[in-house]
Amino acid sequence: MSRTVLEHEEEEANRLLNQWLHGNDFVVVGKSVARVDGLDKVLGKLKYMEDYFSKDMLFARIVKSEVSSAYLEKVDFTKAATIQGFVDGITAKDVTGQNQVGYFLLDQPAFADGVIRFRGEPVGLALAKTPEAAEEASRLVRLEHREKAAVFDPLEAIKSSVLVHEERKSNVAFTTKVRKGDAEKGFQESDVVVENTYRTGYQDHAPIEPEGAIAIPTPEGITVISCNQHPAFAQMIVARVLGCQQREVRTVQSAMGGSFGGKGEIGPTLSAQAAVAAHKLKKPVMLMYSREDSIASRPKREPSIIRYRTGATSDGRLKAIEADITLESGAYVTAGPIILLRATLHASGPYIVPHARVDGRLVYTNKVSIGAFRGFGNPEIHLAAESNLDELALKIAMDPVEIRLKNALTEGSATVTSQVLSDPVGLIETTKKVAKESGWYTKRKAYGKAVGDRARGIGVACAWHGVSTSGNAPDWSSGYIIIRNDGSVDSYSGLVEMGQGLTTTITQVVAEALGIEAGMVTVHMGTSDAPDAGATHASRGASVGTMGMLVAASQLRRRLDRMASKMLGCPEDQVVIRRGFAFHRRFKERKILWGDLVHECYNSGVELSATGYYFVPKERFDEEKGSGFAYPAFSYMTVVVEVEVDLKTGMVFVKRVWPGLAAGTIINPSVVVGQVRGAVIQGLGYALMEEVQTQNGKVLNQNFTDYLIPTVRDTPRIMKLVTVEEPWKDGPFGAKGMGELSLVAIAPAIANAVRHATGMRPKEFPLTPERVSNLLNEGETS
Amino acid sequence: MTAVQYVSFDQLAPALDYVKDRTERFRFIAGGTDLVVQMRSGKTTAESLVDISRVGELRGIHEAKDCVIIGALSTIEDIRRSPLVERRFPALKEAADVFAAWQVRNLATLGGNVCNASPAADTALPLLVYRAKLIAFLGIHQREIPIEGFFRGPGKTCLEAGELVGQIILPMEASGGSAFLKLGKRQASILAVVNVAAYVGTKGGVVTEARLALGSVAPTPVRASKAEEFLVGKPAVDKNFTQAAALVDEDIKPITDVRAGAKYRVRMAKTLAFRALRLASARARRSSA
Repeated sequence: MSRTVLEHEEEEANRLLNQWLHGNDFVVVGKSVARVDGLDKVLGKLKYMEDYFSKDMLFARIVKSEVSSAYLEKVDFTKAATIQGFVDGITAKDVTGQNQVGYFLLDQPAFADGVIRFRGEPVGLALAKTPEAAEEASRLVRLEHREKAAVFDPLEAIKSSVLVHEERKSNVAFTTKVRKGDAEKGFQESDVVVENTYRTGYQDHAPIEPEGAIAIPTPEGITVISCNQHPAFAQMIVARVLGCQQREVRTVQSAMGGSFGGKGEIGPTLSAQAAVAAHKLKKPVMLMYSREDSIASRPKREPSIIRYRTGATSDGRLKAIEADITLESGAYVTAGPIILLRATLHASGPYIVPHARVDGRLVYTNKVSIGAFRGFGNPEIHLAAESNLDELALKIAMDPVEIRLKNALTEGSATVTSQVLSDPVGLIETTKKVAKESGWYTKRKAYGKAVGDRARGIGVACAWHGVSTSGNAPDWSSGYIIIRNDGSVDSYSGLVEMGQGLTTTITQVVAEALGIEAGMVTVHMGTSDAPDAGATHASRGASVGTMGMLVAASQLRRRLDRMASKMLGCPEDQVVIRRGFAFHRRFKERKILWGDLVHECYNSGVELSATGYYFVPKERFDEEKGSGFAYPAFSYMTVVVEVEVDLKTGMVFVKRVWPGLAAGTIINPSVVVGQVRGAVIQGLGYALMEEVQTQNGKVLNQNFTDYLIPTVRDTPRIMKLVTVEEPWKDGPFGAKGMGELSLVAIAPAIANAVRHATGMRPKEFPLTPERVSNLLNEGETS
Repeated sequence: MTAVQYVSFDQLAPALDYVKDRTERFRFIAGGTDLVVQMRSGKTTAESLVDISRVGELRGIHEAKDCVIIGALSTIEDIRRSPLVERRFPALKEAADVFAAWQVRNLATLGGNVCNASPAADTALPLLVYRAKLIAFLGIHQREIPIEGFFRGPGKTCLEAGELVGQIILPMEASGGSAFLKLGKRQASILAVVNVAAYVGTKGGVVTEARLALGSVAPTPVRASKAEEFLVGKPAVDKNFTQAAALVDEDIKPITDVRAGAKYRVRMAKTLAFRALRLASARARRSSA
């Protein structure tokens, strides 16, 4: 094929993409197609990590440091070796490549080498023939080290001469900023100003399945079965640590028992740790983290300290915001810099703010690291922004819904980074709908009074969340589809199913694009064998992550249209392929079966496999100036929450939640509702109870007895999801992302409802009964 | 968790006989919901386990002339579903209702919960206010232990090595009312920050008898005797319950731990004591009306 033909084909494919974007008569898209993995899940047939264990494998447990900061001199396995079934000990010395698993910066070893930077840091592996022996042996490993000063408080760490990474000059690992207009001028022009400092803590992802990896030496190199969120990235990390080429490493996924961002960094780390052992011993090795390993050692949601100032005119028009964000990174940055960047770029909340000054810093301490977690910096910055906005509304006696409607972003608005929104927003409509559904105005008047020891409250919060990676980070996806000669379809994507339902969503996209039923399509994901579609993170999976696949489908659809036009004897633009039949748009009597159409292609030299690629167009964010393009699009959410507070004990009962969503086209409503429900519960946990507690760097609650996640009894009634669907050009059929967004507004809405019920403003999270009780006993309103 | 020897019995006498001559560290195991967790974490070590979970004679809830006899191997779920317990000892039923989660309640036994001697044990508090007696077996000997003196510290009881609680006897109460309340950091499957049981007997609106027990606020579950003494002879009204509740700090000694601070626990002990006394008193009026 000549270049021009290729170009022509691409153009035609783009025409199709555009048609689909504005289509409204879909067969599969927009329908609650049953989860393709649903039945196997219910029947217990899906194979999770542990299901791959076999007796010929060696079992490994990590050896964790028991001090927070030290120079590591020796890892002694002598005593561990006395355990029956013990095979070998692995340390940094066994790493044949680069001992480096850093995500954003190269600051993190696979196994501590020379320096221990947090208590719980992996210094090696204990390998044995059975899990019990590995566990026992791992506890008997003796570490020889010299104590080194440690720093545990992020505010102290900023100024401290005790450095977590001695080769760096400061514990401040990364800084960010946003500037718009003149913040001082904005505050001078404000009639009311609210300033508060908010604190949030570590949240553990608490996936029901802890982390694991199996490394199997093969004639080609090594195959690693693991749970991660980006097979190509895991492949790169394993290759780096082994010191081999990426082609020698193959990564595949087991079914995943939850991730929520958490296995994005740790998955590749475990893959590399297991691979080092398998490579040395020339045997398959299974490494599993225990729950205690997982809570003590694996990255978590970032603790934050945010000083936030909001100014507005007396009629409720926002004039300026100022935010000073300190995120605690723990011992390593992992994704910390981009978590901080995301928080910074969203600091205003989804509102028009003429003047802004936002500064962020990420600070090392000798504690367990932070990492990606659903929301990625946005939950804490929204807690600050949305809490302040309610306080502002109270000061000028304005209704919280009204102040949000008055300042909400719309199409054409300039955001806090001065990016002009070129796509529909839908926030105002969503907010109005949610207010109506929840009976907002009536309840807001009726609640907020104590009845005996109880008081009810109702609160609202809005959120926005940029789709795709932040700022200037390039974003692309690819996919590969092959139509087999019996008409069935295999498609391959490097995206990952982690319980969110992405396999089903991609199945629907491919089926709709080709004109067949979803049952004809299999989507293969989670392996480095598939085309790299980027990471399944940043709320991009069902959105830009699937665009490459859609481009592939559009190319095949073009070829099928052309073949059908020949067979039907009609112009190409009159061909319809739908539910597995090809026919003339108007003369529908004559139908060609899908199978016959495919056969004809095979018999007449038309290729029925295609690779698609999509590179997301982005403009530039100027990091020096702190302004410019932040994200190709944003999704928006409004949530109303009703709570009841026991004014004596401080216990908060979340009674009902009304979610509203504007996230482009919804490809599978039941998958989206599932995401929202999960996010409400996880957001409730973040707001009320989930907190990894530490004392001098030691994690105190390393199990589910004391690390609390919500139970079904804590779960409120989650009302019908209200949606505003306006298609977005860079998402398949117009879909944006919503998996993270749906968590972001929950905690702020709960906080605002608690404020309404009690008259006191919560500023420290989570809102345990003790914190709320203390607030009601000693606290003051802002 | 280290590998252990394991032996199982389905009758009481052979089990008691078996443990008589043990020289190794052994533990009785029934539901295992505390013991297995403690062994895995290394908090408890045992070289052998003597499984008594199939000893049928120690399971069941029976009404006798002036008491109810509960076999120590009755599960928490058995307690929860017993109409007899619900009618005569509602505070015990309420404690069973909020005890851990369903799966745990199906395994955990009343005897186990008592003998584990956790300061937070939910069922210990109703047993305290109902003045339960524990029937303990050692070899061929048998003795009756009032629950008052049973707890000696966290995880510690007055039982001797090889001694086993086989039955829990609850004397029938007069017409008083009782209640159990628990505060935790979430709504279910939670260890208490503070838990409380109360029994109040009234006659003509005057308190004739008051018993109050609190958990998670001292090294053992405790009776709040100062509060109890204060109430007797006084009108059963909120003002008096508030004053009585304020006296609980004479009998408690909470610590700060991962679940709550000591100051908060003191406040909550008073709050829950007040609520439990008031509820028990209201029930007493209802049952005597």
